[in-house]
Amino acid sequence: MQWMLNNKFKMKNHFSLPNSGHNFDAKGSKLGMWLFLFTELLLFGGLFLTYLVYRNLYHEAFLQSSFHLNKWAGFTNTIVLLTSSMTVAMSIVALKKGAKNKAIWLLALTIIAAGIFMVIKYFEWSVKFEHGLFPGMDHYMSMEPGEKIYFFLYFFMTGLHGLHVIIGAVFIAVVIKKIANSKVNKDRVSLHENAGLYWHLVDLVWIYLFPLFYLIR
Amino acid sequence: MDLFISLILLNKIIYIMEKINVKKHEHQFSYKEHFGTWIGLVLLTVMTVSFSSLWTILGELAIVTALFIATSKALVVLEYFMHLKFDPKLYRVMITVVLGLFAFFMIMLTIDYLTR
Amino acid sequence: MSTATFNNQEFSEQENSLNYLNAQKGVFSWLFTLDHKRIALLYLYSIISFFLVGASLGILMRLELLNPGRDLIGPQTYNEVFTLHGVIMIFLFIIPSIPAVFGNFMLPLMLGTDDVAFPKLNLLSWYLYILGAFFALGTLVFGNGPADTGWTFYAPYSVKTGTNVSMAVMAAFILGFSSILTGLNFIVTIHRLRTPGMSFNKMPLFAWGLYATSWIQVLATPVIGITLLMIFAERVLGVGLFDPSMGGDPILYQHLFWIYSHPAVYIMALPAMGIVSEIIPTFSQRTIFGYKAIAYSSMAIAIIGYFVWGHHMFTSGMSGPAAIIFSILTFLVAIPTAIKVFNWVATLYKGSINIQPPLLFALAFIFNFMIGGLTGLMNGALAADIHVHDTYFVVGHFHYVMFGGTGFAFFGAMHYWFPKIYGKNFNRKIANISFWIFFIGFQVLYFPMLVVGIMGMPRRYYDYLPEFHIPNVISTVGSWILASGLLLMIGNLVYAYFRGSKAVSNPWHGITLEWQTSSPPPVHNFNKMPELNKKGPYHFSNAMDA
Repeated sequence: MQWMLNNKFKMKNHFSLPNSGHNFDAKGSKLGMWLFLFTELLLFGGLFLTYLVYRNLYHEAFLQSSFHLNKWAGFTNTIVLLTSSMTVAMSIVALKKGAKNKAIWLLALTIIAAGIFMVIKYFEWSVKFEHGLFPGMDHYMSMEPGEKIYFFLYFFMTGLHGLHVIIGAVFIAVVIKKIANSKVNKDRVSLHENAGLYWHLVDLVWIYLFPLFYLIR
Repeated sequence: MDLFISLILLNKIIYIMEKINVKKHEHQFSYKEHFGTWIGLVLLTVMTVSFSSLWTILGELAIVTALFIATSKALVVLEYFMHLKFDPKLYRVMITVVLGLFAFFMIMLTIDYLTR
Repeated sequence: MSTATFNNQEFSEQENSLNYLNAQKGVFSWLFTLDHKRIALLYLYSIISFFLVGASLGILMRLELLNPGRDLIGPQTYNEVFTLHGVIMIFLFIIPSIPAVFGNFMLPLMLGTDDVAFPKLNLLSWYLYILGAFFALGTLVFGNGPADTGWTFYAPYSVKTGTNVSMAVMAAFILGFSSILTGLNFIVTIHRLRTPGMSFNKMPLFAWGLYATSWIQVLATPVIGITLLMIFAERVLGVGLFDPSMGGDPILYQHLFWIYSHPAVYIMALPAMGIVSEIIPTFSQRTIFGYKAIAYSSMAIAIIGYFVWGHHMFTSGMSGPAAIIFSILTFLVAIPTAIKVFNWVATLYKGSINIQPPLLFALAFIFNFMIGGLTGLMNGALAADIHVHDTYFVVGHFHYVMFGGTGFAFFGAMHYWFPKIYGKNFNRKIANISFWIFFIGFQVLYFPMLVVGIMGMPRRYYDYLPEFHIPNVISTVGSWILASGLLLMIGNLVYAYFRGSKAVSNPWHGITLEWQTSSPPPVHNFNKMPELNKKGPYHFSNAMDA
């Protein structure tokens, strides 16, 4: 694969610019990641705008529907994600100190936290499926319009968020592999830091999802 | 009333903890600082859950309080975990623009729906 | 500042023989390239191909509208044709065109660097573009026919209709990703890879235009991404967020859609204005008048452009106060645009004008964009819009700005940079002729639309009342003239690709950095450090500026 992607063929005496785009640029890499985070913010932002509008239109229905949600499951998940943010931040500290194994362990803990989050989410969703609350199911179709909107948004937003949890976990797994074979190390931390930034974004989205869906009381 | 006092006390604790952390700063965080941030975030989460059960008292303010606390948590994550506090100013400008944009969308949509 | 940048440099035989075009051969060296110049050409060939498909659909529409009643196709087909025409022209042609082709090719050269910040991401952007195009055109083949909703996919019809809306919105979603990644790449490139000594205020104005555009691409596109995802989900699940019978609000869809789609038109316009800002100084041999004003007005347009989306929804049922606010903001966004026009004209004044094809296209841009922009203001006036919304007046307006503006700028850039890209000359006489046929055809095609729109002819109908017949005939004839001009122009350039005489490195005497390297450029863009013009990117050394 490398030969196919490597278009830097050899030229005799080829002059190379100081500001070449082929150099590794940690600051540029970070800037790129932040820009990507902005796109994710606005992606979820569209959903939050939708939530804003419908919550204003269907205030009562949203309140009633939120009673279906388990506040403690949400609380636990919030703590789990906050902890995972801490572990990923600590893993960067570790890597910068050269403590490779500690870094890997902390990243592994982050992935485990992600796993716990998804398991709790799975149980939450299963309960709702059992009660027929997913869009299209019988009980769902018999609900008030405001409740329908609430549950559509609930599944859409927590679902999209869950997808990002998985993506983030995969990203972190890739970083673990690269730390293990030293491609990512204390002098080349960018990929690790970027994975951390992505993970914090996942955490940020949940920080808002939790009160908006679980704590309307 | 005592709830408001505990709110203020909690805020003070968080503020002091952060101050201790900040003093040691260059650009590298330490494990302790991240742990401190985590404690702050957990406390804020506990606060938001306990406040939510006060909806009978707070009424309309409940959502405002919840969002206020959520925003504090978000700011803590952004500034500390995501290193924004110690990053070049450019990042702060960028995220302010992005959030400002989002705020404008919220405002216009609210105006539309409120005045229909 | 050296005069060497002004004249055509002598490049050694060896340098002249080895360039990015011939350095590696074979299909795979193109399909897996990381060279921004080759990626730009990959985009160019695909974009032109899809443009021709979209243009054919346009010709078909005009044929149907030649006479009232059914000429060739019925209403259902007509709806699918104008939808696909819009989807192709907007998502496959106009939005990517200038950034993906000329941005990719010229931005690194103009900044004095050898590639964009993330070359692999650049290639991925192109693959996503092709994938999106596959899905967009796939609607012709798969499912129940291409979408018939209009390119705007308004709910609830887009959710209910049996045509292949799902695939169409999937295409738009993927194309959006391609756009986002290109924008991201350019922002980092501009921030990090400028040649030493080139501050933001010494960048060429095309770079400023791309910078503003890239921010819009990054911040606005995700919103349509999620909106289309919601439509997709609603089609799949059978229930959704915009269905009134389920408590949803269709106007919310329109809000979310236009929150992207209005800034999108600035994605289309800003790079085009950047092109004009490049061509005008070169063909006046004068520095641009009001560099900072043009640079900052690009940013101003980008920012204010986020605040005006409601002007597409004045008749939708949105609230009155909101409509008023949107109308006022819409008037505001015209101001930075006007600033640019004044500055371009001031640059031309007392310049050493060299009338060549690129300049003709740039002047046509100014002419067309004036008409398009002013009719835009008429649309933005709340009371007037009630009368012209969804009529041909709007269709005329946006074709003037998008095609008459960006389209002309795109073809102008093609002529301007053709010698640099291919190292060959095109036939200038034929280029001039093709320009005039194209330009005249354009006016004959689109001006009657403004007239017939005010007379009351609605858009998106395959039929119309007899009183609108004559302007429609004129318009259709215009489409034939335009098509001939277009084909002549493209034919001329294709011929030049194969048989053009060898071009010098700087045929137009431009002084931005891309003219300091050979034509075609070497693989790594520069074989020696480019010399930065300390006084500014357009500081021509002549008596006027001394």
